[in-house]
Amino acid sequence: MAELKHKRVLSLWILTVFLLFVASIIMGILMRLTQGNAMKMDVSGFFEIMTVHGATMIGIWFVAGMASVHYLLHRYVRVTTWINLFAMVFTVIGVVMLWCAAFIGKFHAGWTFLYPLPLFVAWKHWATPVFLSALGVLSVGWLVWSVGMLVAIFKKYTLQQAFGWQYFKKVHQVDTPPFILITVVTLIGIVACLLTALLLLGLFFSEIASGNKLVHDALLMKNLTYFFGHTVANEILYLCLATLYELLPEVSGRPKWKNSWYIALAWNATMIFILFAFFHHMYMDFVQPEAMQVIGQLASYFASLPAVAVTLFSVLAFVFKNSIRWTTTNLLFFLGTMGWIIGGVGAVIDSTISANVFLHNSLWVPAHFHTYLAMGSVLMSLAFFNWVVFDFYNQSEPEKISRLQIILLLIGGFGFLLMFYLGGAYSIPRRFNVYPSQLSIGSALALAAAAFAVVYLIAIILINIRIVKRCIKIFSSASS
Amino acid sequence: MNPQHLNILILFIVMLIIIVGVFVYVYRTSLPRNTEGSGQSGLSNPNQKRFLFFVILAAVLVILLTATLPKTPYYYFANEEPAKVVFVVARQFSFAMSYQSGKPGTPPPNEAIELPAGKTVEFRVTSNDVNHGFAIYDTQNQLIVQTQAMPGYVNRLRWKFEQPGHYSIRCLEFCGAAHAFMESSFLVK
Ligand code: HEM
Ligand SMILES: [Cu+2]
Repeated sequence: MAELKHKRVLSLWILTVFLLFVASIIMGILMRLTQGNAMKMDVSGFFEIMTVHGATMIGIWFVAGMASVHYLLHRYVRVTTWINLFAMVFTVIGVVMLWCAAFIGKFHAGWTFLYPLPLFVAWKHWATPVFLSALGVLSVGWLVWSVGMLVAIFKKYTLQQAFGWQYFKKVHQVDTPPFILITVVTLIGIVACLLTALLLLGLFFSEIASGNKLVHDALLMKNLTYFFGHTVANEILYLCLATLYELLPEVSGRPKWKNSWYIALAWNATMIFILFAFFHHMYMDFVQPEAMQVIGQLASYFASLPAVAVTLFSVLAFVFKNSIRWTTTNLLFFLGTMGWIIGGVGAVIDSTISANVFLHNSLWVPAHFHTYLAMGSVLMSLAFFNWVVFDFYNQSEPEKISRLQIILLLIGGFGFLLMFYLGGAYSIPRRFNVYPSQLSIGSALALAAAAFAVVYLIAIILINIRIVKRCIKIFSSASS
Repeated sequence: MNPQHLNILILFIVMLIIIVGVFVYVYRTSLPRNTEGSGQSGLSNPNQKRFLFFVILAAVLVILLTATLPKTPYYYFANEEPAKVVFVVARQFSFAMSYQSGKPGTPPPNEAIELPAGKTVEFRVTSNDVNHGFAIYDTQNQLIVQTQAMPGYVNRLRWKFEQPGHYSIRCLEFCGAAHAFMESSFLVK
């Protein structure tokens, strides 16, 4: 029963993700409470939590997207469960190492480990190598996973078909499902950024091994860091979009979306743009060649074109004046699309060089990425989870998500986010454990954000209870 | 909030309202009571509308690009001779500022800085250890301009202060435990 095996592994992923999600939200609330002066945390403790929160959140929603795509892939190609298990073992080891480095070793240089901060050891000496190795373990596990999926796809589809290039010709015989196209485009981006992560870690270790004699170029290291960090955070959403293309029509009882030249073109363009948008992290490094700065803004702007004109338009046109059988799954996909687009607007504003002068490293930055993650990809991943656990019994979903849960989710989520945006507009810096008295408005906003975040947490738990119960059932039923 | 920050916030809020409005509207058209009996279903001519949507969006982006790209901070007051040059060396967790550039291997010189109002000044910003930020906050505690302080590089930032008073400098790049307390100030007369 290959099917069953896939589902068991998946339910284990879902349980892990959910557990770590709740823990990380609580860490987030603790940070906001500290910034709001409602509680005290020692300085190192705050930044340990910040490091762990960032790394864990990115990690779990990345694997959630990967596990979802892996699961759906078996509809089209033969994928083994062992690479999935392999990735899971590496993920668990990596996360445990990461938490140890931060909470026992007091490592607190942030999940983006910007060179050379991790080498200016203000924590236990072993913590830096353990933290960097943890990222290495995660990168290797995920690299094997991504390459394994790509290999499985290329066994069935030729290179041209996988990228949907046949749609640019007048006639074509073979169809590429949009799901396959998006998965390929996304996995290629992921492979590129994981390889960069490994290169970066190699450079760090070469410096440690040489007794800090080999000193790297800080600007080059920063470019590499953000090529990895920015890209990986973005690809999370594309993994979710692959599942959206596959499932949204299906769960709404409508015909599958067909691929076409404009979908193929859009995703090929996205693959390119996404690899150059990361330059916007270096806007305030005036020594960076100006061509790269301009490319950063162009790529960031034009990345939104295919996304909006193809995916957003398709989702809206799909719902508009069509009678939809609304279920928890498609409602969460729909809301997730909205969160993604709102976060995208915040991102495009921030990626404007002349606005970035005001917004760079202000709370506007966590504002926009929390929007497309916490209200975008998280909701889409939950949509998938919800679908898959009920699909197990081939039964239709029980009653749809209640109105109360939706209201709590939206008020909690967007209230929490609005405080970040307002903070950005009031010039409140990001990554401050406390705000100086001149910026005391930051503390007031933080307190309000903490309250909204509690509401968000409650909504998430309510929505997830059913999913978690099902997962436990699936997992134990198969083993008995 | 100064006008630029306010404009950014308003732009975002307006877009937020439009997006939420569109989603709510589209959702409502899909409810059974609104689809039954209306005789039509779905969007007519979707590809034509998609194309229109694409063209409008592309036009808006191009307009925004041409309006904003010439305003990058790299050329602020590029054609003027700075009246004063300030050398800034950031380190964990303070800024050393001086009218003199330091010598390699010696601690960076540090002195109180006073700058003339209404004249172009230049900051040459670098770091002695990790990456830091160099963000200038005006007398109303609003961020007016910033650059990064990166080891091995010197970022040149030009500015003209119109309002006299005390300006603060904050580090905006996470640089370790005392990051939030890393600040300095100068006087504009
Ligand atoms: C309601 C839930 C959440 C709360 C309360 C929360 C809270 C926070 C806070 C307070 C910060 C530090 C902001 C600062 O720079 O001052 C932060 C940073 C961050 N959060 Fe969240 N967050 C939540 C959900 C998420 C989700 C869902 C993700 C990703 C999927 C995420 C990813 C991150 C990342 C990557 C950082 C950056 C850490 C860094 O600057 O090194 N968070 N969050
Ligand atoms: Cu700092």
